[in-house]
Amino acid sequence: MPDGVIVGGWSYVIAAYSVTAAGLIAYAWSLVHRRRKAELE
Amino acid sequence: MTRQFKWDSGLGLLGLLLLFVGSYIGLFVAPAERYMGETQRIMYVHVPCAWNAMLLYTLAFIFAIVSLWTHRPKWDAVTTAAVEVGIVLNALLLVQGSIWARATWGVWWDWDVRLTTSLIMVLLFAGVLALRSFVHDAGRRATWTAIATIVAFVDVPLVYFCVRWWRSLHQVQSTPDTVAPMMVVPLRINAFAILFLAIWMMAQRVRVELARRAQDQVAEPERIAPIGGSTNA
Repeated sequence: MPDGVIVGGWSYVIAAYSVTAAGLIAYAWSLVHRRRKAELE
Repeated sequence: MTRQFKWDSGLGLLGLLLLFVGSYIGLFVAPAERYMGETQRIMYVHVPCAWNAMLLYTLAFIFAIVSLWTHRPKWDAVTTAAVEVGIVLNALLLVQGSIWARATWGVWWDWDVRLTTSLIMVLLFAGVLALRSFVHDAGRRATWTAIATIVAFVDVPLVYFCVRWWRSLHQVQSTPDTVAPMMVVPLRINAFAILFLAIWMMAQRVRVELARRAQDQVAEPERIAPIGGSTNA
């Protein structure tokens, strides 16, 4: 294995994808909630 | 009770489907990068977030000019929506970039020119929304939002070109010629996936803004005090 090659790293990949999914879901949920609230009032 | 299926719902579902497909190819089909190994797979969500955040800020800049020109509420609503969704993608790209930096550079953060200008970009546009929340008059709020958006946009070209203009730890933009074809496929699929999701998010945000504005117009007469009384509006 040559120097400077990163071995493993799946934990970082999982962390990045998890943060992305959590961020998108949380924001989408907040939008639906705010839209329903605004339309009901 | 039946709900009408709106065009943006279809786009949002398509975006979600594409995000699953693109991420699956990026995680399990595309080859690992020669030096960064598996950590390079972060690129398939990081770069689409970056592209779309900058696209939304650019659209917000254009909408802001149109809003200033026409003074129509819908352009203020779409400007605000583009800024807010852009901030979400900008924040995600900073966190993804930080995780990638820890894996490849050994640090969570560096005051590198690309990272710093990206941080300034999210702070500037967050400032637009903060400024907006302080102005109660709808007309003045739209004007200030548009002006602040135009000012904040100055940083967007800097973020894109800084890696070419100055020395940076961050790599310069890749092209399809410099990466393996199986890396380009998930990158493009996820770019369209995030774009479609962003359009769905913008559509929801526009509806929130227009509904609030309609409420303000209904509530306005209630704030007018009786003749001879003091006003708090």
